[in-house]
Amino acid sequence: MPAGYVAQIVEKNVFGCATELVLDLPRGFEAHPGQFLHVRCGGDGRILRRPFSLTVSQRGELALLVRPAGEGSRWLCARRVGEELDFLGPLGRGFSILDAGEHVLVAGGAGIAPLRFLALDMRKRKLRPSLCWGMENEEDYGTLPEILAGECDLSLATRDGSAGFEGTALDLLFSQARTESAAIYACGPRDMLSGMARWLGEAGRERAQVSVEERMACGVGACRGCAVPVTDAGATYAAACREGPVFFARELDWERM
Amino acid sequence: MEAGLRTELAGIRMQNPVMVCSGTWGNGREYAEWIDPGALGGIITKSVTLRPCPGNPPPRIWETPSGMLNSIGLENRGLAAFLEEDLPWIAGFGVPVFVNVAGFSEEEYAEVAAEVCASGLAAAVELNISCPNVKKGGLHFSSSHEDAARMVSRVRERADLPVFVKLSPRLNDLKGMCAAVARAGADGLSLVNTIPAMSIDVERAVPRLGNVTGGLSGPAMHPVAVLAVWEAYQSVGIPIVGMGGIWGWEDAVEMIMAGATAVAVGTVNFVDPGAPLAVVEGIRGFMTRKGVARVGELVGLAHRGGFRDEGKGRAPGSG
Ligand SMILES: Cc1cc2nc3c(=O)[nH]c(=O)nc-3n(C[C@H](O)[C@H](O)[C@H](O)COP(=O)(O)OP(=O)(O)OC[C@H]3O[C@@H](n4cnc5c(N)ncnc54)[C@H](O)[C@@H]3O)c2cc1C
Ligand SMILES: Cc1cc2nc3c(=O)[nH]c(=O)nc-3n(C[C@H](O)[C@H](O)[C@H](O)COP(=O)(O)O)c2cc1C
Ligand code: FES
Repeated sequence: MPAGYVAQIVEKNVFGCATELVLDLPRGFEAHPGQFLHVRCGGDGRILRRPFSLTVSQRGELALLVRPAGEGSRWLCARRVGEELDFLGPLGRGFSILDAGEHVLVAGGAGIAPLRFLALDMRKRKLRPSLCWGMENEEDYGTLPEILAGECDLSLATRDGSAGFEGTALDLLFSQARTESAAIYACGPRDMLSGMARWLGEAGRERAQVSVEERMACGVGACRGCAVPVTDAGATYAAACREGPVFFARELDWERM
Repeated sequence: MEAGLRTELAGIRMQNPVMVCSGTWGNGREYAEWIDPGALGGIITKSVTLRPCPGNPPPRIWETPSGMLNSIGLENRGLAAFLEEDLPWIAGFGVPVFVNVAGFSEEEYAEVAAEVCASGLAAAVELNISCPNVKKGGLHFSSSHEDAARMVSRVRERADLPVFVKLSPRLNDLKGMCAAVARAGADGLSLVNTIPAMSIDVERAVPRLGNVTGGLSGPAMHPVAVLAVWEAYQSVGIPIVGMGGIWGWEDAVEMIMAGATAVAVGTVNFVDPGAPLAVVEGIRGFMTRKGVARVGELVGLAHRGGFRDEGKGRAPGSG
């Protein structure tokens, strides 16, 4: 059951442009990869909570991985060990691990957060996923790739070619040979997700799941603020916070995204 | 002290004066996982329209200093689904349900209101003639006193429950409007809806909301809402539900002192699902501290010169 919590930050690690905050969660707090926490990010006139995907630390503890995008996320990155975070969670629908011969994770930027958690779940099931992760440049990664390389088959991309493949995570994905039946799990900017959906075609969209980022107010499905267009006759919307944030690519109307 | 929180609104008995605002609490299911809906004074449901309404294109929300803009655009599954699935469920908690009604023509409002009344499950109808987020309908129905009054009498003819009229604070003559809808048969007022507003992304030079314009809610608009309640209280005798930027019990008490018989909390639910019940507790504590026996004594108190009786300014804890 989701609930409101105040949890202490017990460890903080900075990996390039992102800050990992490991949380001391109450016993019995259970979450699935792809679910998120809705976090209070200080005052200064910021009244709404901010959504952050649950990730895991190297030891497998639940954590957040925050990339500064504005005032709220910057406030979060500035928290110290011992301080407390106020959040609602775990919220939303996470990833389902499909029955497939190959599992490919595609991360753009901070989109790595839920996928690292997913990779841990896959390892527990004796699956070895491959992960394509894209960032702007080498500095953005910090030392996280060295750790991740022990957790999955990792390949990196940077726009400027300073580390790994030159291009985006998507370009990297396109460049690799895949079996037809590979299951894909993606999280990253909207452009990346829609580019991938176009590339996959109808059949591929059946086996691809994406975690979408939409601005949120309530985070629990009550306000309908986080609407994403879905493929149904009525041209309606789903609430990213409750019916998502993870959707099968076929469920979303990419034309209207 | 429990008796002290009880109140009556257009003949509807409430265990306390704190409700939740239309559109900020879904149709109850989401927040029933967080708080007991049966502890609320009342529940105002999300605007329902005759037919399903998909709502506006995203982005639908944008945060502003101490406030937020929304352009949800009346997204709902339509009257039939509401009457079949949502209303019976939410009515099961035993607190009065105010059904917020919207539409795209006078006939639609009247039709929806009539069916809501016929269901036997609602306590009142709240007419949303102040939604800033739909091109046709919404605010259009309160563009003149005559239009609004005609709408109210059309609905009044078909509704056998109390009818509350929800108004925008952006009216040239709020007092005149309140008087016009009261004359047309409104049993109460809901003040206020969000304030029409917008925001532009200067890097891209485009509006932030998919719908271009939206409505401002939250603490930033609270003083505007207090004034609206204050003015309405001066101009009409029908009861007022005060809403707009209530964040804690002080804001609620302020609304009541401005003239609201009950209050509704909206945007704060998104931040703290426990907020409505915290407001109830806060009002209770304030009444104890001030030695106020019944919450009704606070209604419009600021119009009557405030706390004057020496005995009512006692120290905390002494009540
Ligand atoms: C389900 C979900 C999971 C997320 N997980 C993570 C995560 O693990 N790590 C991480 O660093 N970020 C994550 N985000 C994005 C994060 O929520 C935003 O970066 C944050 O809300 C920005 O707040 P701010 O106050 O820093 O910036 P603001 O000043 O509010 O905005 C700064 C910029 O970020 C964009 N933005 C704001 N809110 C969102 C949002 N909800 N989604 C996408 N972009 C937004 C704005 O359009 C603007 O360009 C996630 C978002 C969602 C919806
Ligand atoms: C996301 C959102 C959706 C809303 N939807 C409706 C609605 O469907 N019908 C309506 O009459 N008012 C709607 N409102 C307005 C609220 O009921 C309330 O009048 C307003 O938000 C002011 O109160 P607040 O500042 O406490 O939120 C909505 C407000 C928000 C923030
Ligand atoms: S953020 Fe309110 S419905 Fe998703």
